[in-house]
Amino acid sequence: MAAPLEGIHVLDLSWVMVGPASGRYLADMGADVIKVESSKRIDPVRTLGPFKDGKMGPERSVSYHNLNAGKRCIAIDIRRPEGREIVLRLARWADVVLESFTPGVLETLHLGYSDLKQRNDRIIMASTSLLGQSGPYAKGTSGVGTMGAAMSGATYQIGWPDREPTGPWGPWTDAVTPRFIVASILSALHRRSRTGEGCYIDVAQAEAGIQFMMPAYYEYAANGTIPERCGIAGSPLQAPQGVYPCSGEDRWIAIDASDSGHWDALRVLIGGKLRDAKFDTIIGRLRHRAELEETIAGWTHEQEAEAIERRLQAARVPAHVVSGSGDLARDADLLEAGHLNKIDDPVFGEADIEGPRFSLARTCLSATRRGPRIGEHTKEVLAEVLGMPETEIAQLRESGVLV
Amino acid sequence: MLDDVRVLEISAPETMLAGRMLADLGADVVVVEPPAGSPGRRLAPFLGDIPGIERSLTWQALNYNKRGITLDLSSPDGKALMRDLAARFDVVIEAAGWGKTSPLDSIEFPPSMIRCTVTPFVRTGPKSEYAATDFTVMAASGSPAMTGDIDRPPLFFLVPQGMMEAGADAAIATLAGLIARDRDGLGQRAGVSARIAAMMSAFGQALVPGSGNPESTRAQGAMVIAGAQAPSVYECADGFALITIGFGPVFGQMTRRLAKWAADEGRLDRRIAEISWSSFISDLMAGKASPQDLQALVDGLKSLARSKSKAEIAEASRRLGLLVSPVMNMMDVAGYVQYRERGLFTPVSIEAGREIDAPARFAQFSNYSIEIKHPAPKLSEHTAQIFEEELGLSKAEIQALFVAGGI
Repeated sequence: MAAPLEGIHVLDLSWVMVGPASGRYLADMGADVIKVESSKRIDPVRTLGPFKDGKMGPERSVSYHNLNAGKRCIAIDIRRPEGREIVLRLARWADVVLESFTPGVLETLHLGYSDLKQRNDRIIMASTSLLGQSGPYAKGTSGVGTMGAAMSGATYQIGWPDREPTGPWGPWTDAVTPRFIVASILSALHRRSRTGEGCYIDVAQAEAGIQFMMPAYYEYAANGTIPERCGIAGSPLQAPQGVYPCSGEDRWIAIDASDSGHWDALRVLIGGKLRDAKFDTIIGRLRHRAELEETIAGWTHEQEAEAIERRLQAARVPAHVVSGSGDLARDADLLEAGHLNKIDDPVFGEADIEGPRFSLARTCLSATRRGPRIGEHTKEVLAEVLGMPETEIAQLRESGVLV
Repeated sequence: MLDDVRVLEISAPETMLAGRMLADLGADVVVVEPPAGSPGRRLAPFLGDIPGIERSLTWQALNYNKRGITLDLSSPDGKALMRDLAARFDVVIEAAGWGKTSPLDSIEFPPSMIRCTVTPFVRTGPKSEYAATDFTVMAASGSPAMTGDIDRPPLFFLVPQGMMEAGADAAIATLAGLIARDRDGLGQRAGVSARIAAMMSAFGQALVPGSGNPESTRAQGAMVIAGAQAPSVYECADGFALITIGFGPVFGQMTRRLAKWAADEGRLDRRIAEISWSSFISDLMAGKASPQDLQALVDGLKSLARSKSKAEIAEASRRLGLLVSPVMNMMDVAGYVQYRERGLFTPVSIEAGREIDAPARFAQFSNYSIEIKHPAPKLSEHTAQIFEEELGLSKAEIQALFVAGGI
């Protein structure tokens, strides 16, 4: 069966992470996604690692492939009038346009929603930026996902009380925001199939981050409490729940035996001091939490993390290695599900990239392919999508538009 | 936008955001709870720090815009009612725990039904039987191993994230199924592994070894470049600021402006400010730049940050175009003029006679607006209404179900 978005055309003017990751979801669902780039202004994600074999280079970023898998790429200078005209013609072809320019930039290039809509009144256009397109600080503000995390309240809440906050790993809102963009686009496509109506969608990355922090926001708004970083992994209301050291360098096992059935099973398995009557009740476990955690850590610290995971799972206690990059690359759950896919790139050879984040039973999803090289499909797209004659393409190339 | 879409959500922590996103986008979402209440109602924090089935703020934040019914899906009555209800809905979303079959397995759904199932690990994979909680799923995602400082244990979010990541991807999977159905009228099953969903926030950690790189190590507190430590969070006059020192053609320009600001404020030697930060890494490798220069920049930024408030830092970041922002706490978020004036917030009732502003508008549309039409349902609030309207049950029949304990 055809993939859900087969026949849907996406013009991806975005760069770095949020927009490209949104386009990746659509490509996984079968959409034909054309990424617009320029070797004069390469996608900055090409300068971010990991790089194949640790060697930097614009065509060596594995992150780039993971975010742009399955797309086509044309290289044009959109600041040139001829380049701009190509974008407008592609907008006529497109069902969906994605962009992540600093708010205001596309309007100055006369490529804003109203310009695109003139060519295609059914178009669905999604813009994403740190703070959105409206409001007093929107225009001209650019930013990255670490700033989104800081402005959504997430960074403040992660860290050790005796040190500065550390915040979440990486440009966190770059992972959160695509979900809200994609859900909005798919809803708009659904509406358009009934009413023919397109729309403009504006998603602020910092605001999207707040969605994943809603309980903490409510805690402040309803109770007046500002959630503070507390260091420990795990809830202050649940014990035992935490990470415990294992043998080897920086190896940890996460155990959550806060449910009474799980606690009983853990207690039987570890025995020793855990049999003490003071740990019989949740109140006792919380009052003596330090001793409880220490006892469990005393049991874990000489064992291998994987072995503990197996032992605890055999006893039906929720536990998992705190997976690092190596654990993930070896993980049976991911390998058997085919989540890690080998790509074979003509420039650097083999690498792994991730597959789609969900499955559909009837309609397939796109097979995971590598991302395109800069301008790999320029000629193909201009000729096949826009029906441009070869002489015109040659002329554009000559005059430096197709760079 | 989804006003012709009807969703039954069998409530679990992992379904809550999915159902709410679809409801926010216009779908008619009915959340189905066991008679004793959804596990989502036992998630902290609680209103006034007093627990209670109607007092979970997590429940309230993730269930507004839905209606709620109770139904004992393990009973024959519950199964029969579920089957009859399902015939009138387009989508059912559920979370199946480890090692048990879903109560929906014995129900035959119409062929147009989209059934989305969230599981901790891949439903058919080798860890499908794993005992799991949000905490252990997050441990398996790859991000905690990278979060925090290397001399201390890995750190986790205080707000459970597995349920957020899985819920958001469940909304997307459901919508993908819906778009496919728009074409041919047929439904299907969709599956989301919370672990794989949460790997989105690990930014490709799983790909590091397979591309010929050494395994990653945790170094969140400070990026270490050639022995020089560059922290990401700096103490400022009234809190903290995030300051990113970037390199390369795009981010290096921002570092140049940042260094110039520090020099203009007398906090950094002008010579350091004028270094080519765009090419710093390659210059360093070529021996044309020194790690001491980076250390000097960091020291200057520390001094600069201490002399400024969060508001001053935010203003300079906007004016100069920097990779710098205040580290906002939830009070800052609630009061931020940009969010306020942009219309992020809309009021929602949290108890009788009391409203708060909820940051509800995760997207803004040219011809649609996310609104909170009603607060999260109280336990069984709409049971009688829905059974009467949808299934034509009489008042006596609904009372009989209650007496029998099925609702």
